[in-house]
Amino acid sequence: MTVGEGRFSGKVVVVTGAAHGIGAVTARRFLAEGARVAVIDREADGFAEHFSDMPAECLLAVTGDCTDATMLADFHARVIAAFGPVDILFNNVGQSGRERASPFHESEEEVWRFVLEVSLLTTMRMSRLVVPAMRERGGRVINMSSDAAFVGDAGLTDYATAKMGIVGFTRALARELAPHRVTVNAVAPGAIRTRAHDRLTPAVIDRIVATTPAGFIAEPEDVAGCVAFLASEDARYITGQTLLIDGGRWMI
Amino acid sequence: MSGGLAGRRILITGAAKGIGLASVARFLSEGASLAALDRDEQALAVLRGRFGGSPLHIVGADVAEPASVASAVAECAAALGGLDGIVNAAGIDLVADVETMALGQWHRVLAVNLTGPMLVIQAAFPHLRAAGGGTIVNVSSGAGLSPLKHRTAYCASKAGLQMASKALAMEAAEFGIRVNTVCPGAVETELFRSGIDASPDPRAAYESVRARYALKRIAAPEEIAAAILWLTSAESSYVTGTAIAVDGGRTFH
Repeated sequence: MTVGEGRFSGKVVVVTGAAHGIGAVTARRFLAEGARVAVIDREADGFAEHFSDMPAECLLAVTGDCTDATMLADFHARVIAAFGPVDILFNNVGQSGRERASPFHESEEEVWRFVLEVSLLTTMRMSRLVVPAMRERGGRVINMSSDAAFVGDAGLTDYATAKMGIVGFTRALARELAPHRVTVNAVAPGAIRTRAHDRLTPAVIDRIVATTPAGFIAEPEDVAGCVAFLASEDARYITGQTLLIDGGRWMI
Repeated sequence: MSGGLAGRRILITGAAKGIGLASVARFLSEGASLAALDRDEQALAVLRGRFGGSPLHIVGADVAEPASVASAVAECAAALGGLDGIVNAAGIDLVADVETMALGQWHRVLAVNLTGPMLVIQAAFPHLRAAGGGTIVNVSSGAGLSPLKHRTAYCASKAGLQMASKALAMEAAEFGIRVNTVCPGAVETELFRSGIDASPDPRAAYESVRARYALKRIAAPEEIAAAILWLTSAESSYVTGTAIAVDGGRTFH
């Protein structure tokens, strides 16, 4: 595959946390629509699985931990050197720390710090790196929230806090950057079939399906379609929004 | 024909002007077959001339009139051989002080903006179910999210439409029907222009509206149609019961 024609032809896209799931599928989507894409993840095995057919001409894959600020700055420098300034940033990296999740009264500050770091501060840091150039050239920032922030899932107070932090960050940054032809939006997925989802017990999955009006668990492609839309010219008048992709779960 | 809506049969109300018209143009370019409904016969004639030869069935009807809606929707479904989607774009504005607003004005705004979409949905719902699923996109307003002075009836009608859409999204989900709303801010349409021109100082009025938006400009109807298209397409396959503000940054919903 070579750099192709499509909606994102000529655009430089960054996707963080792109070795698996939503990040990988969305990065593939941008590639399929003509973009040059830079991805970063600490797990290189997923890159081999999802991107082995991609030449260096259109894909830059960097193995590194997004919570390491120096690593992130180095990644950004490599993107600039390889492709030039970033047009579209998808701040996808994050995780709920679900395997260490607990009721709040038993929760530990160490876990809060990890969840806030990986789900909120990475987004702020990566945005801080790309925004100066975007102010000159226009651009798109799309952040990853979660419907867990809106629903307020029990046992995930830290995650809900981080993901609602994303909503506030999105709104304030959108207002700052609006005069510079930069839109800033967030997506808030519900139950999506990813690795994190596959670790849930059948009972938990049944409960999620039962509380989702659409009545099924979505695929990463369902999120990629939303991110691609917000990144496209079709969405140039949409800014400061958080778009729920949850089959209607938060509505109830 | 290829495109994001190839093979889809969509009914659009308020189709002769503004956001509805922009949706007609965009949906046709994406390969949809359309039924266009509007009460403005003159504007429909212009529409007919502009899109002659396209898969477009045109019907004159007022969405606020139950009998007229029932027969119009039946005619549209028959013409297209069924329905896969609805776009409720018909709407009217009202700027009025609460003390001087006539009850008739209040009723008319609710009839067109809130009852109208429901009448269209009621009439079209069996066809969407028969098609095995579909999409409903209701055009609400940023004024249904965040209030505007002197627009009590308008804001209430648009907020009502959002909640009606959410409640309906729950009911419709089991039939594979998604229901969403789009909430535009000020859009460069005839409706918007007439409001500006009616004010004592149109230029100042325009500037004060423009200043409300973080992007510091009024939207083009095509920018709203783009969001309606997305919610109608398979790209938004897991999105239902949501309200998307396409308002250049006013409500920060």
